[in-house]
Amino acid sequence: MILPSFKYHQPTTLNEAFAVAKTCNGDFDFIAGGTDVLPNYKNRLNNRSHVISLSAIKELFELGDSKIGAMVTLVQLEKNEWLLQNHPAIAQAAHLIATPPLRESATVGGNILLDTRCWFFNQSHLWRESKGFCLKADGNDCLVVPQKDICYATYSGDLAPVFMVLGASFHLAGPAGRREVAAADFFRHDGITRYVKQPEEILTHISLPENAGELRASYRKLRLRDSMDYPVMGAAVALRLNGKIVDELRIAITGIDTTPFLYDDITKGVSGRELNSALTAQIANDVMEAVKPYRNVHFTPQYRKAMVGVYLKRLLQELSGD
Amino acid sequence: MSSNSANGNGIVGTRVPLIDALKKTTGEGFYTDDIKLPGMIVGKILRSPHPHARVKRIDVSKAEALTGVHAVLTGDEPGAQNRFGVLPISRDEIALPKPGAAGRAGRVLYVGDCVAAVAADNEEIALQALALLDVEYEIVPAIIRVEKGLEKTTEPIQDRTKDGTNVHKTVEQQFGDVAGVLDNSAHVRTNEFEFIGVNHAFTEPMATIAHYDADDRLVLWSAQQVPHYLHRALADVMEMPMHRIRVIRPMVGGGFGGKSDPFPHEMIASLLSRKCRRPVKILFDREEVFYNNHGRHPTKTRIIVAADKDGMLTALDVDATIDGGAWGSFGVVTTYYNGVLAMGPYRIDNFNYAGRRVYTNKAPCGAMRGHGAVNTRFSFEVTLDQLADDLKMDPCDLRLKNLLPANTETINGFRITSNGTRECIERARERSGWDQKYGQLPFGQGIGLSCGFYISGSAHRIHFNELPHSTVHIKIDMDGGVTVHCMAAEIGQGSDTMLAQCVAESLGIKMERIRIFSADSDTDPVDLGSYSSRVTFMAGNAAVRAAEKIREKLIQAAARKTGYPAGGFVLTNEKVVYKPNPDIFLTFDEALTAALAKSGALIAKGAYLDPPPIGKRNEFKGWRAGLSPTYSFQAYMAQVHVDPETFEVRVQKVWAAHDCGKALNPLAVEGQIEGCVHMGLGQVLMEDMSYLHGTIQGPNFLDYRTLTPMQMPDVDVIIVESGDPEGPFGAKEAGEGPLLPILPAVANAIYDAVGVRVFSLPITPDKLWKAAQRQGVKID
Repeated sequence: MILPSFKYHQPTTLNEAFAVAKTCNGDFDFIAGGTDVLPNYKNRLNNRSHVISLSAIKELFELGDSKIGAMVTLVQLEKNEWLLQNHPAIAQAAHLIATPPLRESATVGGNILLDTRCWFFNQSHLWRESKGFCLKADGNDCLVVPQKDICYATYSGDLAPVFMVLGASFHLAGPAGRREVAAADFFRHDGITRYVKQPEEILTHISLPENAGELRASYRKLRLRDSMDYPVMGAAVALRLNGKIVDELRIAITGIDTTPFLYDDITKGVSGRELNSALTAQIANDVMEAVKPYRNVHFTPQYRKAMVGVYLKRLLQELSGD
Repeated sequence: MSSNSANGNGIVGTRVPLIDALKKTTGEGFYTDDIKLPGMIVGKILRSPHPHARVKRIDVSKAEALTGVHAVLTGDEPGAQNRFGVLPISRDEIALPKPGAAGRAGRVLYVGDCVAAVAADNEEIALQALALLDVEYEIVPAIIRVEKGLEKTTEPIQDRTKDGTNVHKTVEQQFGDVAGVLDNSAHVRTNEFEFIGVNHAFTEPMATIAHYDADDRLVLWSAQQVPHYLHRALADVMEMPMHRIRVIRPMVGGGFGGKSDPFPHEMIASLLSRKCRRPVKILFDREEVFYNNHGRHPTKTRIIVAADKDGMLTALDVDATIDGGAWGSFGVVTTYYNGVLAMGPYRIDNFNYAGRRVYTNKAPCGAMRGHGAVNTRFSFEVTLDQLADDLKMDPCDLRLKNLLPANTETINGFRITSNGTRECIERARERSGWDQKYGQLPFGQGIGLSCGFYISGSAHRIHFNELPHSTVHIKIDMDGGVTVHCMAAEIGQGSDTMLAQCVAESLGIKMERIRIFSADSDTDPVDLGSYSSRVTFMAGNAAVRAAEKIREKLIQAAARKTGYPAGGFVLTNEKVVYKPNPDIFLTFDEALTAALAKSGALIAKGAYLDPPPIGKRNEFKGWRAGLSPTYSFQAYMAQVHVDPETFEVRVQKVWAAHDCGKALNPLAVEGQIEGCVHMGLGQVLMEDMSYLHGTIQGPNFLDYRTLTPMQMPDVDVIIVESGDPEGPFGAKEAGEGPLLPILPAVANAIYDAVGVRVFSLPITPDKLWKAAQRQGVKID
C-alpha cells in the first residue's frame, strides 16, 4: 500500500501553521506522529491534499508543571518521572497503547484526537466498495446503526478517559485566539465531528488541576492481546477517600461509544458514603447498565458491557486498597 | 545402504544455526522484492468488489492511454483463460475472467478475485490505471454459507461439481462395523465443532517477477514452496515447453502452505511481461494476501467416539463439511485428510468417514501447516477428554491404553514403522507434573493433554509418473567445496541446512565446505517441493544417497593411493582414514586430489523413490490418501490460567513432546516446535477469518490477530527419537505434526480450569464467558 500524494508543510510556529491552513481551503489535516492519520490515508479514508506537520512547533513539546504538550510522545509520557510520581495513571495508560515502536512516534495529542474506528470504516477502498461506502467516508448511510444522521464509529483513545477523571483541560489555539475546554466537555456524540475542536484549531497542551495529584487514579483496558490492540473497552477511575468515605469519585469509559464518557451522574451521588463491597458492586453495575456498545469492533457488545462491571469493580478495589 | 544411522561425525544431531541465518538477519540475503532488474516495471491487479459476478465488458482504452502504462491485461489475452491448479485432478483456476464469456470463464468468484491487470512505470501510475478500467459487472447470486453450497443450483461456481450442487469433492470410507459397535459401546460421545478459517500469516507477502526475455524464454522469480508445480503450471498457461521456462525461488519469508500453489498473479506477471517485453514485478499488500488466502478450510465437524467399559476405543465416526472457497487448490487432499488422518496414534477397529468439500464465493482455501488434520484432531482429542471423564480415567491413561504399536498397519492401510507416542506421553507427563496437577489445580487454573499424528511426506505423487520424489546432485571440484543441487524449497524451515548436514555427515567434513543450490530450475534437479512435511525424509535420503556415491569415489582413491583395501576406509573429521590402523589416512583434500586425477570434478546423483509397497492397495476408493513412508507422533500438555470473571485465557506453559525419529538439528527441531505452538495457539485463541456478507472482515494484521510475543508461553520442548528405520539418519518430519496437539491441549486445559467447553474456534474470552454464563459457572 502506498500513500496518496499530498503536499507536506512543516511550519515552525502556530501562527505560521494557521496561515498555511488558511491557504488550503479546508483541504488539509494537521499531523503529529502520523500513526493514526497515515494508515487512514493509505486506505484512502478522507485523505487531504495538504498535510501540515506540527513537528517543528516547539511550544507543543513542553512537559512538566502540570502541563503536557500535545506533541509529547507516548514513550516520553510513560517514562516521565514527574508523571510517574504525580499522575501514574497517565503513564500507565500511555504504556498500554499500541506497541513500543508506535509509541516512539505517537503523541498525546494524536491519541486524544484519535479518529473514531469501525470495521466498516477502517478498510481499503476495495473493501468499502464491496460493502457499500459508509457515512464516515464516501457514503451516505451508517452501516452500524442504519440511518443517515450520525456516525457510530467507536472512540478508542486510551488517554482521554484518564484526563477526564483527573479533571484535565484541553487547550486549543486557533486563528481567532486561544481557549480552554474541560476534557469532560470536549467530545461530541458523532463519529464524524467527534469533538468541539474546529478543523483550523490546534490542540496545544493538556493541563491538570492542582488537586489532581490528590486523586488516586488507574486505567485498565480490555483487548484480546496485551499489545497492539485498541481497547474494545477501557475504564478509568479516580478516587479520593477520607478513611473509607468517598470524597470524590469519577469514572470514564472508552472504547464503547462514539466518545469517551464520564459518569458523573452516577458517581456524584456516592460522595460521603462508605466504599464497601456493596457500594462498589452498585457503582460498577450502574455504569455497566448505562453503557451501550455497538457491534462494530471486536468482541460482542454483551461481553464488552459485562466487562465494564468487572473492570470497574476491580479498579475500585485496587484504588480503595482492598 | 547405511542411511539409517549417523556416521558419528558429529554433524547430525548437533545444534547448528541455519546456514542462511546470518544473511537473513543482517539484511544481506535477498527476497523477491529485493531484486531489481534493468527496465523492470510494476504490475497491479484489479480485484473484484463482488463475491460473484459476470464480467460483461471491460473498457481498457483510458487505462491504456495513460502515460507510463505499458500493458493492460484482461481475460482476452491468449493464455489468460488456460486452466491450472496444483492438483491435475481439479484444475479450475484461471488467471483472468474473459469479458462476456459464458460460465466460469467469464465470472469473478469472490471478493478480491482478479479482474484485470496493468503494468506501469511505478505503483502510483499502475493504481491510477486500475481506477481507469471501466468494468461492467452483472451480479450473480453468491454462495456464502457452506450449507447453501450443498443445494442444487443452476449456476454452480465451478464447471465440475457434484449433481448440480456446489459440492467439489466427497469422500466416504467405512472400515469395520461402526453402527453395530456404537449400539453396544458402554460410552459414546457425540460433538459438533465449528472451525473458522485461518490464514498462514507468513511474513513476506506474495512477490513475483516475470521476465519474458530477448531469447523468448520466460524467467520467473517467485516466493514459492513448490517451484516445480509452478513450473508445470506456467508451461500449461503460457503454452510453452518447460525447458523454455526457468523458475527461480529467491529467499522466502515463510510459507506454511500458503505458497504451495501456482497462483494467478504468477500467470498474470508472465503474461504481462510477454505482452510488453519488460520484467514485471507484482508485490502484494497484506490485504491481497488475505484475498489470495489458500489458508485452512473453515470446517464443520461432527464426531462420534465410542469406548467400552474398560476404556478401549471401539469406534470413530467423523463427518466433515469443508468450506473450500472458490477454487479447488489442494481441496481433494484436504477432504481425504480430514478423515484418514483422524485415527492415528490410536488403534481403532471401526471407523467411518464422510467428508465433502463445497465451493463457496469466498477466497480459496488450501493447504496450511498440519493440512487437513488439525480440525479433526481437535474434535477427536476434545471428545476423548470427555470420554476420560465419563470413564473416570486419567486422560493420559486412556490414551496410553489405546496406542497403536510400532511396526504395524492401521485398518485403513497405513504402514506404521517407528512410533514414539508412549515415550512422548510419559515424558511430558513427568516433566509437567501432570499427576499432581490434573483435576487438582485451583479454579481458574488447568492442565490439558492432546496427542498428535502426522504424515512425513506424501507417498502418493500429485502427478502420476515414475519420477523420483526428490533428486540431489553433488559436485566436488579441485577447490574442495561441495556443491549440492536440489530444488527442495528452503522457505525458512531449514531445508538447505538439512541437506548440508546430511552431506557433511556422510562425507565426514565440515559444514563450511557445503554450498546449497536449491533455487533454480535450470540447474537444480527436481524435488516436488516443501509441502506434506516431505523434505527431510525424501530430499534428505536423496542427499545421503548421492553423498554415499561420492564417498565411494574418495575411498577408492584413498585405497589406490595408500595401497590398503577400500573396505577399511571411513570418512571422518576431514580425513579418509583406514579404520584398522588410523595412522594411515589421507586428508580430505589429498583424497580429493587423488580422486580428481585424470577424471575431473566428482559428480554423483541420489534419488528418493518410494516407500516399500503398503497393504490395502486398490482395495477401496482413496486408498492412497494419507499413505506416508513414516509418521510423526506427539503428546503435548498445556497449563492455562483462565480469569474467572473475564474469561481471558493465558497459556502459561507448554510441554511439547514430539517424535521426529532423530533430530538432525535439535536447534531447528526446537524452532519448528515452538513455531508450531505459536501458530496453533493463534488458531485456538484468536485467529479468525470471518466474513461480513462475503467480504473478509479484517484482511489486515490489526483485525486478523495472531499471537504477539506477549502471549507466547514458555515451551518445554521434549524431543523423542524413535529412530526411523528408513529416514535419513533415522529422521522424520518436525514441521507440521507439532502444530496439531496444541489446540486441543489448550481447550482441554481450559475445561480443567473452569469446567467450560467451547465448541467453536477460536476460543475467545467473549465466547468462553457466554458459554460459562449459559452453563451457570460459579466462581469458587
